[in-house]
Amino acid sequence: MNDIACTYGGDREQTLIAYLYNDIDPAERSIFDAHLVMCSRCRRDLDALDGVRTQLARWSPPEPDFESIRNPRSAPRQTPGALSSLKGAHQSLSWRAVPIWAQVAAALLFLGVSAAIANLDVRYDQNGLTVRTGWSKAVNSTATTANTPADANRAAGDAPWRAELTALEAQLRSEIRSARAAAASVPTRSAAATDADVLRRVHALIDESERKQQRELALRVAEVFRDVNAQRQADLTKIDRNLAFIQNSTGVEILKQREATNYLMKVSQRR
Amino acid sequence: MTWTDEELVARSISGDADSFNELVLRWERPIYALAYRTIGREEDARDVCQETFLRAFRALPGFRGQAKFSSWLYRIALNLCRDWVRRERRAPVVQAPENVDLIELAAAEEPSESIEDLVARKDLMKAVERAMALLPEEQRTAIILKEYHGLTFQEIADLVGCPLSTVKTRLYQGLTVIRRELARKAKT
Repeated sequence: MNDIACTYGGDREQTLIAYLYNDIDPAERSIFDAHLVMCSRCRRDLDALDGVRTQLARWSPPEPDFESIRNPRSAPRQTPGALSSLKGAHQSLSWRAVPIWAQVAAALLFLGVSAAIANLDVRYDQNGLTVRTGWSKAVNSTATTANTPADANRAAGDAPWRAELTALEAQLRSEIRSARAAAASVPTRSAAATDADVLRRVHALIDESERKQQRELALRVAEVFRDVNAQRQADLTKIDRNLAFIQNSTGVEILKQREATNYLMKVSQRR
Repeated sequence: MTWTDEELVARSISGDADSFNELVLRWERPIYALAYRTIGREEDARDVCQETFLRAFRALPGFRGQAKFSSWLYRIALNLCRDWVRRERRAPVVQAPENVDLIELAAAEEPSESIEDLVARKDLMKAVERAMALLPEEQRTAIILKEYHGLTFQEIADLVGCPLSTVKTRLYQGLTVIRRELARKAKT
């Protein structure tokens, strides 16, 4: 049937495709519209290609776990290159995702710890504000302050500052101790949490596997039903055909016997 | 407020990670679908999708907006798919789709279609996948970009780097092969 002559002047295949996807110049569309009225071959091809498009539209990809695309650490399987490189990018992204207040808190904690480790000595006296670090210097300066009466007086005048500084130091030390204790307890808790996570993921994997098996089983059962029905239909058709053939044969035989009987009767009557 | 892709790109370049996340959310589905239909393997398509966004993230400062962001992203994904096909040196794999839960569908009070219809539909999907897998890479790519992503002929031509007329020819040839394959399958 494809040998019907098509008289379209332009490139037929390209115009058909452009027309099919409605991605065609209006003038060319008008010309091809007029041609379609005359050309049954183009009409048929257009219908067929449109049918192909309808069938293509039914092909949809399986729904992926987009969370594993966004966060590859939760993905069950990765190619090494993609995983390692994407992890790096995500680490930098996740740090940026930490709220500002948390970043400020972290910075303050870092400063506090640094100050405590450095044994920071902040002094405000006649010489102005003095900041010193180091363990020995602090001890020496305390020892020297009591050597002379003038120094003793100054020390008495500085007493509120010193008391406040001592209190601050004590507070920082207690905070550092509590932070260390908290840090020490984190691995235990995180280990427990990790175990729970692993258990949960294993359960999820098992559930998912069972669901897949059930799906597969249902699909196979449905396919078997369909095959059985198809076979039954084919058998019924075959039986019908055979019955019809037998009926025909029987009818023909009866007809032949009737003719033979008639002939014999005619012959016997003549005699 | 809904930002355009180009606005989100500009914000991402200036350091706004949320804007890039928004771009990922917006384009992960089309890019995954493109990868899946091109290479035919779910897990590999997911990897290609990840890698596409990773490369886009890294190359973002160099994106000058000569093309649409989506076209740029499609180009990265297509290059990765092409690399995959060459690396594997084989035609796309045909996988049984797993997106239909037969149990749930059968258990529904008023199923939208019978199990027989569902099986027939899945059969058709497999047939389409098989027919698509038979096509040369360039015909398959043209059909995927036109049929499933709605790109214009010109956009496809720009993306794959060939004349517009070649895109149409590839589409015609590809659709004709699929038509023949589906007709052959229907007869058996």
